[in-house]
Amino acid sequence: MIAGDRIVFEDVSKFYGEVLGVNRVSLSLPPGVTTLVGPNGSGKTTLMNLMTGLVQPSSGRISVLGLTPGDPNEFFREVGYCTQFDSFPRGLTGWDFVFDSLLLHGMGSANASKLACEALERVGLMEAAHRKIAGYSKGMRQKIRLAQSIAHHPQVLVLDEPLNGLDPMARAESLALFEELSRLGMHLIISSHILDEVDRISDRVVLITGGYLVAEGNIHAVRSEVRDKPMQVLIRCDRPELLASRMFTLNHCVEARLHSDGHGVFLRTTDIDEFYRLLNGIATEGLVNIEAVAPADDDTHAIYQYLIGSEGGAS
Amino acid sequence: MSVFKHEYRAYEGRVTRRWERIGVLVRYGLAEAWSSRITVGLFTLAMLPVIADLVAIYLANNAVARMMVSTGGKFPLEIDAKFFLRVLSAQCWLALVVNAWVAPRLVSFDLADNALPILLSHPISRFGYVAGKFISLFSILSLVTWVPCLLLFGYQAYTAPQPWFGANIQVGLGLLGGSLVWIAIVALLGLALSSWVKWRMVATGVIFAAVFVPAGIGAVVTGILRTRWGFLLNVPVMMTEIWQRLLGAPPVMKPDLELPGMAITLVLLVAVAVCIALLNARIRAREVVRG
Amino acid sequence: MGVIELQGLEVRLGGRPVLNGLTGELRGSAIGLLGPNGAGKSTLINTLLGFHTPSAGAARVLGMDSRRQRAQIRERIGYMPENDSFIGNMSGVRFVRYMAELAGLPSRVALERAHEALFFVGLGEVRYRKVSTYSLGMKQLIKLAQALAHGPRLLILDEPTNGLDPMARQRMIQMLRDIRATGSIRLLISSHLLRDIDEICDDVMILKQGRIAAICNIEEERRSHRNFIEVETVGQTDALCAALRDRGCECACFASGRLKLVMPDSIGVRDLYVAAGQHGVEIRRIHRRRDSLEDIFLRAMDLEPARGELVRI
Repeated sequence: MIAGDRIVFEDVSKFYGEVLGVNRVSLSLPPGVTTLVGPNGSGKTTLMNLMTGLVQPSSGRISVLGLTPGDPNEFFREVGYCTQFDSFPRGLTGWDFVFDSLLLHGMGSANASKLACEALERVGLMEAAHRKIAGYSKGMRQKIRLAQSIAHHPQVLVLDEPLNGLDPMARAESLALFEELSRLGMHLIISSHILDEVDRISDRVVLITGGYLVAEGNIHAVRSEVRDKPMQVLIRCDRPELLASRMFTLNHCVEARLHSDGHGVFLRTTDIDEFYRLLNGIATEGLVNIEAVAPADDDTHAIYQYLIGSEGGAS
Repeated sequence: MSVFKHEYRAYEGRVTRRWERIGVLVRYGLAEAWSSRITVGLFTLAMLPVIADLVAIYLANNAVARMMVSTGGKFPLEIDAKFFLRVLSAQCWLALVVNAWVAPRLVSFDLADNALPILLSHPISRFGYVAGKFISLFSILSLVTWVPCLLLFGYQAYTAPQPWFGANIQVGLGLLGGSLVWIAIVALLGLALSSWVKWRMVATGVIFAAVFVPAGIGAVVTGILRTRWGFLLNVPVMMTEIWQRLLGAPPVMKPDLELPGMAITLVLLVAVAVCIALLNARIRAREVVRG
Repeated sequence: MGVIELQGLEVRLGGRPVLNGLTGELRGSAIGLLGPNGAGKSTLINTLLGFHTPSAGAARVLGMDSRRQRAQIRERIGYMPENDSFIGNMSGVRFVRYMAELAGLPSRVALERAHEALFFVGLGEVRYRKVSTYSLGMKQLIKLAQALAHGPRLLILDEPTNGLDPMARQRMIQMLRDIRATGSIRLLISSHLLRDIDEICDDVMILKQGRIAAICNIEEERRSHRNFIEVETVGQTDALCAALRDRGCECACFASGRLKLVMPDSIGVRDLYVAAGQHGVEIRRIHRRRDSLEDIFLRAMDLEPARGELVRI
């Protein structure tokens, strides 16, 4: 019985012998798209395995929509997992793979057949479904894993690098699919390295490194909390140095850096609202010819850089 | 003081000739083979019979020893073609053991992590690649077979009274020829089977099996059908025949079970062709990753 | 002389035609190779490397025929395949040196250049460990190092940022841009990540079902047509919209202060700011929508750019 609409981690730690998986992680994730971001080996896969009930935490409690792996029938029905690992049982066709996993959920054959068709249609693998998986291309194997994870209509979908190996159109289609599913009220937990794609659809971001949670929440909210790095705006104009000197006379502009192509300037400011007000004024004066204005670091990539940086990666 | 900037720089220097690349493969193959302690151990093992034979030759040619050991006027050990047949057989079978260990080492590391696309994207053809591996294996096996055998032969020729050498040149040539035939076949067999089997230990076993299992089948065939053609599957018997004939030693098999030379040659050539085909197929399959 | 010239290239695999008559010339210093799965990108790369023989037509790399001058081509190419490809039993240095020697460098020079290449890609102490112990990022780097060590004139890279975390990906892209900037190496990069191609390459070739769907120069395509401006505002946008329409703009209002405009030539951005100031609206973001690589790609696939909303404000 689903009780609640959140995925909750309470002070969860997972150790593999002496090796750290994750340490003291507390999360509460509402419906929608949550992206899980972090270097390789940071604990993302551990987190996903914990969420899908494949491993048990060394300490702490996990509840997904009020369910725990203690009641497996309910739990696994509501959770779908699309892993990053590219191995399949030998000799299966695409259809077998999806159909069999549905049967494992205890469905009847007719029902499973219907749902399998639906899932395969959704990922666009209906024609290739009766070929053996061993003959699939990398992108097709990715899609069949996705089909398997959505086939039983779970409430929670955990996706580990789901766009890996997909060509640009398939990526766009998958992202559109994820957005659609999240609008239906599902929980989607997506882990990805391609941050700008992730930014397009996600509502919240979870940053993890070295097994520790570094940040969690809406991207803009997280960004504004990173106080030691003031907001940065990129302004493309014809006289960037003039614009920079004007902005500097106002005391909340703390840093100006010319773009390498000479037609823009990055300005950092501690007071973003004041900044825009003044910028509008300068633009009206006609002092410089402004071409474009955009926040330069209000995205996941910037947050990643500030909070995790280069040393966060396993070297 | 200056600040030194290290950037990528193009290469303008000398480029080695194409055939020298095969030498690169040979060098690295040899380094790989000898890096294992087991190779060293097997090699040492293979040298022990040589030492024993060396002592035997010394004793056989030493007048004092002859006097001491003579029983009833006849010295038990005679250094002739039959003796060298035994030496050659022993060394060749030991070479098989060395081959079964070394051949998988040469091949499976390249296949285990899919190195062939990168390897063959260099200016080395499939033939050059196999030739390089073959030559390194061949040289190791040579050190176990004809090199020590010819040294023994040379020593015998030196210590024995002069007419011995003149009368037994065929033995020397037979040692060389018999070794070359054998190591060429097992080297190819070793490379081909190693390329088809994923794990090195299993490859070692398969190489032995490829030599001895057909022998067992052949023995059964010979026994049941009472024909000598069963021996065509029996590599040990066939090789012994070949060596015996090359060395000019007295026949080993009963006359009605002897096989014609042509038949043996044909079977061995077929085996070699099959090995080459296997290698070619395997490399073609692995040089490009599909999908 | 182009880097790659294709003249009616046809390649059949297992009896099926995979490349159907490709004709074109690629000249840029960095060329992107794009296309859906199964379009023939890998087959094309393998043909250029000499692994497949054309059933018809020809392919020339750096002026040399791929069928007849295979060894010469391979001497001048560095290849970084997509999948794991290494000899696990060797140390990083030994592996790179081995590959450099196979490419034709004398032994001692190969060792020097192996270390140079490893330094360039940023593999430090790790180079003395066996490659089988490397992490994914390091394996990508060692593949790049072995491709560079012998000083090739063309680098062929298949999904170079595969599996790399965001920082490593950025470093890899920067490294490739540095390599390109040296001027002595051309790049041919096949990738599914349009952003990577956009940042590194100036020419692209898009394949579809074994044929060329497009060959173009990215910058030139970008300078063309559409001149949408997308604006994010704070304040009462309706009045502003009306005012702009009066002045001849096409203006569409969206939720949370978003506007999409097409401005006639007579109106500039300054006028926009003036109008905004007059109506008490603060402009927070201005974005000129130019054709991006995604649009070029979608057009080549015969699809409407609006499909799937690849690009949003």
